[in-house]
Amino acid sequence: MNVLVVDDDPVVAASCRKVLEPEGIRVRCAMSAGEALVAVREGAFDLMLVDVKMPEKDGFIFLREARASVPLAPVVVMSGFSTQETVAMSAEAGACLFLPKPFTPDELMHAVRRATGASKGG
Amino acid sequence: MGKLVISTRLRLVASFLAVTLLVGGLSLLVGTQLIYRAVLREAQARISLDLNAAREIYDDRERSTLLALNVAAGDQSLRGASDLLSAGRLSTRLAEVAEAGTLDFVGLVSADGRRLAATGAGSGVPANPIALLALRQRAAVAGTVVMSREELAAEDASIAARALIPLVPTAHAAPRPDTPETAGLAIAAAVPLLAADGSLRVLYGGVLLSRNDAIVDLIRDTVFRQETYNGQLIGTATIFFGDLRIATNVRTPSGERAIGTRVSEEVKQKVLDEGQPWSSRAFVVNEWYVTAYEPLDDIQGARVGILYVGVREAKYTDIRTSALLVFVVITLVGIAAAIGLGIFLGQLIMRPVSQLIAASHRVSDGDLTPEIGPVSRSEIGILQKTFADMLGALRERNERQLADRERELLQSEKQASVGRLAAGIAHEINNPLTGVLTFTHMLLRRTDLDASAREDLTTIVQSTERVRAIVKGLLDFSRQTQLDPQQTDVNRLIADTITLAANQALMKGVRFCFNPAEGLPCRTLDRNQMQSVFLNMFLNAIDATDNGGHIDVSTSLTLSPEEPGRRNIEIVIADTGCGIPASLLDKIFDPFFTTKEVGKGTGLGLSVSLGIVERHGGTIHVASRPGQGTTFLVRLPLDGVKRP
Repeated sequence: MNVLVVDDDPVVAASCRKVLEPEGIRVRCAMSAGEALVAVREGAFDLMLVDVKMPEKDGFIFLREARASVPLAPVVVMSGFSTQETVAMSAEAGACLFLPKPFTPDELMHAVRRATGASKGG
Repeated sequence: MGKLVISTRLRLVASFLAVTLLVGGLSLLVGTQLIYRAVLREAQARISLDLNAAREIYDDRERSTLLALNVAAGDQSLRGASDLLSAGRLSTRLAEVAEAGTLDFVGLVSADGRRLAATGAGSGVPANPIALLALRQRAAVAGTVVMSREELAAEDASIAARALIPLVPTAHAAPRPDTPETAGLAIAAAVPLLAADGSLRVLYGGVLLSRNDAIVDLIRDTVFRQETYNGQLIGTATIFFGDLRIATNVRTPSGERAIGTRVSEEVKQKVLDEGQPWSSRAFVVNEWYVTAYEPLDDIQGARVGILYVGVREAKYTDIRTSALLVFVVITLVGIAAAIGLGIFLGQLIMRPVSQLIAASHRVSDGDLTPEIGPVSRSEIGILQKTFADMLGALRERNERQLADRERELLQSEKQASVGRLAAGIAHEINNPLTGVLTFTHMLLRRTDLDASAREDLTTIVQSTERVRAIVKGLLDFSRQTQLDPQQTDVNRLIADTITLAANQALMKGVRFCFNPAEGLPCRTLDRNQMQSVFLNMFLNAIDATDNGGHIDVSTSLTLSPEEPGRRNIEIVIADTGCGIPASLLDKIFDPFFTTKEVGKGTGLGLSVSLGIVERHGGTIHVASRPGQGTTFLVRLPLDGVKRP
């Protein structure tokens, strides 16, 4: 499984890599929306974990732009700003799940499985 | 404001003035006229009486003349034989008679009219008319007689000269040829007597009225008793021959007796021509008089003259003038008093009113403690008192509103600043927390860890979970701005929430008793937010209550105490816990206020709860007795949600 993690914070990217790679998941990290757009066009991913607040372009803008160029894999939006509005905007942006930060490895895996499973099921 | 005060005061003064002027002016006109008329009528009545007295004096002069002659007629010396008569002795005797009777002429004639003797030096021809009348009638006669110039001259040249009166031009007099009056008017009497030889003789005598001051002055002095006005004798008397003044004490402007002037045509017509008495104002010589005139008849009944008495009208017009003056003074004083009283009353009435007006201006400018002035005892006092009460109520309400606003402002400022802080913190802290949680958990998965390291890592995980909870609380607090309202059954919501808290209660040994109101209508509210409010309260109650205690929850539908007609849903949560000291009751809704030990609460709970309830248009009240328990009352208005 290929997962794209889009987050400007290296700690988060490292955390995801730390949890997902032992499970046999290939993780590619993008530190910005621009980087992520390049990555999306280059390779196919099974899942994207996208942060909301990033410099220059936030996660929602990235999703809109990415969706305009290629069909997208299931998306899980991660945010430390886990308000109802953020959750609602995530759903609007096409995310199938909202993962509030901080999360434990179990919570992350649960989300990944649900997202991919849901996508497979749907 | 000033305009209003002045105009009211002016109106008061003007009305007083109008009343004064009306009353003063009317009494001035009417009163003066009434007094003048009354005085004049009185004067007129008096002058008519005076004329009677004058007539009495005049008639008395006739009687005294007759009496003097009668007395003299008894004298034997007048009866001797005519040829024996000593002309000298007889003349002396007649002169004595004349003097005794103050007569101007005395004479004795024989039956054929021939003069036997006389006081005068005249020729005796023609014979005296009164003597001829007595001879004809063979009886004593007395009365007024007109004597022609010849008859006068027959007595004495000096008498004829006295009777000659040149005419003085007189205003208002009837036209008359400008020839001097030569005839005279006399009071005369004649007494027949028998001479010693049996022949008839007549003794006659009289007073010439022309230029005779004695009679008119006697009348004046008797009737008017030297009464003076402005240094002049007020009364006058006159004897007219025809319309001509022949004896008078009316003076011309130059101070002489007005002999030769004439009566006004008006009077002449009435008295002389018609024979009527006259009693009215009349223009005499050169001045107005209050007068009375009556005709003088001669012995044969022919109207030959006029008897007049009069007083100068000046005295009475002066009375009118002074009365007028008094009224004018009274009116002026009244006007002054009216103005003064008007201004005084105006000020008295308007002072509290203008003070009230000034006060209300100050109130509208925001000053709620204006000077109202001393409270008047009139109706205005009620207004003042009402105004003061109103101000008091306004002040009270203002202070209350101010305090409320300050409290609300403080609360919302606190919430806003805490909210901004929380949002920032939440966002920034959650990323590193993710790292901490991930890496600690991954470490814990390793199997090569000794027990002590595993324990330490577990502590790290637990601490991090605490941080996560705190940050979540902050975030909850910060994002309490928007509601997601939906139709909610409050009873159902509470029951669900109790279920959520049931585990905690069970662990603590605390029992929940829920007493839902029947038929409670549904209400739109943010189910999630309200649930967190109730959950927070239940958890607080569980924390505060010891083992064996219970928490009573009830709902009810009540009528709004503030807004009649509106209904509230009330939720009461009463615990039997430790209670809250009164000193802390005010603070329990402050963000970060907590009584719980470190790590057990963020302190955001009630503050967040209050914010949510207020956004639903509701209130939270709290009552507590330390040691006995705490009761929270959440009151939600049934109709309408207050939008942020």
